[in-house]
Amino acid sequence: LFPGVRQAQWLTKTKLVEGLPPAVQSIMDNPALGLQELEERVKHAVSHARLWNTPEVAPRREQYCPVLFENLIHICRLMSGKYPSLSKRMLARNCRIAATWERESILLQVRGLSGILMNSMTPIPPVASKEEILATKEHVLETFYPIAPTIDLQEVNVYKELNDTGFRDGYPYSHPHTLFFLESADVRTDRFRPEQLRAKMLMFAFGNALAKAKALHGNDPKVLEQPVVVQSVGTDGQLFQFMVFQLNTTDLVSNDGVKNLVWIDSDQNLYEKAQCVPEVKKRVVTKPAGISGFQPDTFKKFLALYLHGTV
Amino acid sequence: MAALGARRLFCHGRRWFSETTPDAPSPTPGPLYPPVVASVTAKSQAAKWRRLDRFKQRVHAAATVEEKLRLYGKLQRPKYMVYPQTFALNADRWYRSFTKTVFVPGMPPGAAAAKAPVAATGATPEAGRAPEPGAEAPGAANTPEPPVGAAPYPDMGHLRSLTCDALLQESFYQNKKRPFLYRDQDHTPGPFLTQLVSTLAAFLSGRNPLLAESSLDLKPEVNYYWHHGEEVVVHGHRKGRVDPVRFQIDDNPHLQIRVPKQLPEVVPLESDLGDVPVIDHQPSKLPLFKKQYENKVFIGSKVADPCCYGHTQFHLLPDRLKRERFIRERLEDQIEVVYRSNGIASLFAWTAAQAMYQGFWSEADVTRPFVSQAVVTDGKYFAFFCYQLNTLALTPETIKNNPRKNICWGTDSKPLYDVVEDGNVKGFNDEVLLQLVRFLLNRPKEF
Repeated sequence: LFPGVRQAQWLTKTKLVEGLPPAVQSIMDNPALGLQELEERVKHAVSHARLWNTPEVAPRREQYCPVLFENLIHICRLMSGKYPSLSKRMLARNCRIAATWERESILLQVRGLSGILMNSMTPIPPVASKEEILATKEHVLETFYPIAPTIDLQEVNVYKELNDTGFRDGYPYSHPHTLFFLESADVRTDRFRPEQLRAKMLMFAFGNALAKAKALHGNDPKVLEQPVVVQSVGTDGQLFQFMVFQLNTTDLVSNDGVKNLVWIDSDQNLYEKAQCVPEVKKRVVTKPAGISGFQPDTFKKFLALYLHGTV
Repeated sequence: MAALGARRLFCHGRRWFSETTPDAPSPTPGPLYPPVVASVTAKSQAAKWRRLDRFKQRVHAAATVEEKLRLYGKLQRPKYMVYPQTFALNADRWYRSFTKTVFVPGMPPGAAAAKAPVAATGATPEAGRAPEPGAEAPGAANTPEPPVGAAPYPDMGHLRSLTCDALLQESFYQNKKRPFLYRDQDHTPGPFLTQLVSTLAAFLSGRNPLLAESSLDLKPEVNYYWHHGEEVVVHGHRKGRVDPVRFQIDDNPHLQIRVPKQLPEVVPLESDLGDVPVIDHQPSKLPLFKKQYENKVFIGSKVADPCCYGHTQFHLLPDRLKRERFIRERLEDQIEVVYRSNGIASLFAWTAAQAMYQGFWSEADVTRPFVSQAVVTDGKYFAFFCYQLNTLALTPETIKNNPRKNICWGTDSKPLYDVVEDGNVKGFNDEVLLQLVRFLLNRPKEF
């Protein structure tokens, strides 16, 4: 649906904050990371994914989107030479998530394959302070009267109200850290639009956080002492959406009380255009082959989200 | 112009001879006639050789490597498709004869000794690199300056725990659906291998700065096209002509690590460590089948990539080459053949394609050896291979006077663990992990 994030906000009882939280911003601005040297490597990573990956002239999106993601994650992981606690992370692909909650007498649930998940042994510390959490009490969730908030949701009969993190008990990397969503369909209509992608990211981040909270604190709805923070990154190979979600309460039945918080940074371009073959008009090369319009800030945000919780 | 030679005519019978006295040497004029060479278009052997020479001159004179590769693989004819992962019996002997490779069992002696110097160099730079956390040790009970011999041991504990974690996550902790029919390898060992290599590479990048500049690829393509040997065309409009035998390898390794600097040579270029098997039969007896399609040479990324040298490849054996199948058909000795043929063929294709990316080809042979490593596994059993490419000259003309041979070192397959039960890995084998770590830590001497 068009106002996707607003609908997701109502369903998950969340307040939206534009931009990334100050904790992540401070990691980005930290000069000890050596982000300048990484720029060259990120450019190579993007060129490799978009230009050099296949023996054909230009790789398709189904190929270059996962390759770009792998390259960026590889560069981030190599930072564990500097920060050894980064090695306490594990990537899990194709993990299934299931979370159920009630929202004003409507039973909702999130189920299914939630993309690629990165787990860590230690949880991310809460991003918002206590005052901010209490301040959300005054925030009123916007409704879309007369449209019911559950429009466009699939109605199914469920026989088991399931809350499953996707892993068995005793898993050492038990805290979900970041979710990655790759929109890699070749055909544009099969891909999610940025707005819908953000809504999907929000719903799955909420689902993971809720399942983890219920696993930690039990099924009763209550305000959480230790809020659960889950991050999320979504991309289609060029545009990146960053999101930090903090679950403050599992009491979702009523519309009042403490709300959950989400910080969204949307539509960040990593590069403007990737030209595989030089464009020649009237025997003159107008656009040379290569990556143009590279923006290192987007990768800095990616890396900051990756390092969040250990630095 | 002075001093023309005096000419006198004298008569012998009725024939007149002219005689010129030799004088001061005059500058010899240029050739009066163009050089007499064979025709280009005639239907003769000399014309064929001249056409071949012109083609070789074109390839030698090509401006860029892409142009060279394009000209090298321009002519498409039916060729044998060589599959690295094959069920053919004794395929590794055949592949060794196709690629002129000598197989030496065991690992090269340089790699085995590399661990002790690596441990020594690992300890001394650690004292120097103060911000580097000491020995990447897992928390308590590890001294900040470990003694030289003990430097690997705290790492081994941490690495072992990383490996076990990856294994347990994929096989035990994550809730997965049942594997699709005959896709067992994609369900558990595939993700485990990816997870293991990526975490180990990231962890060891502190020790091995080459890994810090590496490029990790999942399921890349590796292709190579070459000529070796001669045969007579059997049927068709070209019947009766003598043609080179063409081969093409199209490989899809599970994981590939490429680096910007080349690995050092293991033995000198001209060393002879054994014999290459000579097989008198046609390659189609292996069985090998012919097809005509694009002649590709590709290492995993295009020529413009700065990471153009190979470091390590990881191959996952598919379900149809499981050990249980071979045991059921009473072909236990062929299990090792599968690993060896995969190692030899894939590594030959990779190193030869790397050499072609540097501008060498069968007429311009390599001036330095190209070294790469590979690990072939089916999830539980690991076999390690190291390949040194000494020569690309395998065509019928160039192989005549070529004493060089390519060399492949390889081990037998050993299990990494016995069984995974109830969240525990039983029977973990440290040897295999140590060899894997040695492979990943391999680097040129300047680093």
